Amino acid sequence: MIEIRDLKVKMKSLEFIFEDFRFEKNKVTVISGRNGAGKTTLLRVFASFLDYEGSLKINANVTYNSQEPVIFNRTAYCNIVYPLKVRKLDISLYHDKIIEYAKLLDIEHLLENNALKLSSGEKMKVSIIRSIIFNPDIVLLDEPTTHLDLESINELTQLIKKLKSKITFIIVSHNKSFVDDLKDVEYKVGGKNVLS
Amino acid sequence: MILESIIEAFKLLISFDPEIYSIIFLSLAISILATLTAAVIGTFLGILISISDFKLKRFTKKIVFTLMGIPPVVLGLVVLLLITGPFDGMNLLFTKSAMYIAQTLLVLPIIIGNIIITSEKTQKQILETATTLGASKIDKIFLLIIETKPFIFMSIILGFSRALSEVGAVMLVGGNIKGDTRVMTTYIALNNSMGEYSMSIAMGFILLSIAFLLHTLLARFRGDFYD
Repeated sequence: MIEIRDLKVKMKSLEFIFEDFRFEKNKVTVISGRNGAGKTTLLRVFASFLDYEGSLKINANVTYNSQEPVIFNRTAYCNIVYPLKVRKLDISLYHDKIIEYAKLLDIEHLLENNALKLSSGEKMKVSIIRSIIFNPDIVLLDEPTTHLDLESINELTQLIKKLKSKITFIIVSHNKSFVDDLKDVEYKVGGKNVLS
Repeated sequence: MILESIIEAFKLLISFDPEIYSIIFLSLAISILATLTAAVIGTFLGILISISDFKLKRFTKKIVFTLMGIPPVVLGLVVLLLITGPFDGMNLLFTKSAMYIAQTLLVLPIIIGNIIITSEKTQKQILETATTLGASKIDKIFLLIIETKPFIFMSIILGFSRALSEVGAVMLVGGNIKGDTRVMTTYIALNNSMGEYSMSIAMGFILLSIAFLLHTLLARFRGDFYD
């Protein structure tokens, strides 16, 4: 699905070097590494937000969910249906799925609330449902548990387990139990050079 | 002097002098129309410039930012040269249309520039999210307009203030003709030159009161804009 070879990313005075790797379909791959090792950088390269050197092959539809959820000024429901709207998909066909995911993440009662006024954890849940609702091939989750309580993390784990047969997840997270519960494959990052 | 002017302002208002009311109406009408026109064009152009990558982007932004501070009298002169030169046949000199054109051109860079400044601050994450969710360029423009609405609103208010308070351009292209192209600012300038300071300050007081009232009303639409 995603294959990297001799991949390097320059960020100001740093150069991140990534080992060759192939991210497999329908597997949960966890990208691990220390702070500043380039985990988020790699996800942002996959999302086409950053330039790189080397070879990157992606033959899939990729969606990136950032560490700080970016929520639009509208209801949670309207946030979730945004990708359906811009992709000109029939929203009514997805209604049951939205309710199902919202129930799973315990935000069903908040769907008609303005999403900007939700708590950080609730925003994260809205943002995650928005990322998966249109069935992308690959979902990149950057620290999805940051704002979530223990119960919410368990709910998210269940949702990912439920969807992993259809969607490939690539996750960056420092939450060990969350990662251990989900990961099929681990990819370690850490190589970097300081540029003069 | 100030107290006298305030009394004079009230006298002016309660005199129901048709000339005074037509001056106030014309000032508001031209400023509102010019601001609305500039708002529609400026919002679109501002967002388009800020989300697009093109070769002369930095240069274009510099031009816009320079034009934000153009002295109204200089802009008035440019419009005057245009309507007496290449567009002479349109008979625009000393008309309300010429004043409308001058004010629109004056407000346009203010709206474009402010939208560029504010949307570039907020746009990155919004655009990245929209891109990753499958939005097209047009979708992104509409999304940015909606998401940066408060900043766009602020830019429009700034533009309106500039239009309502400017004197140089409308004086040059409108001619300050009594009963036709005279607006509040040119009325103030005229009375000032004739030594009628209390009348000038009185009309200035009315101008400020109208500006304050309009800003208060507009701020209500924006909710907590000034909180």
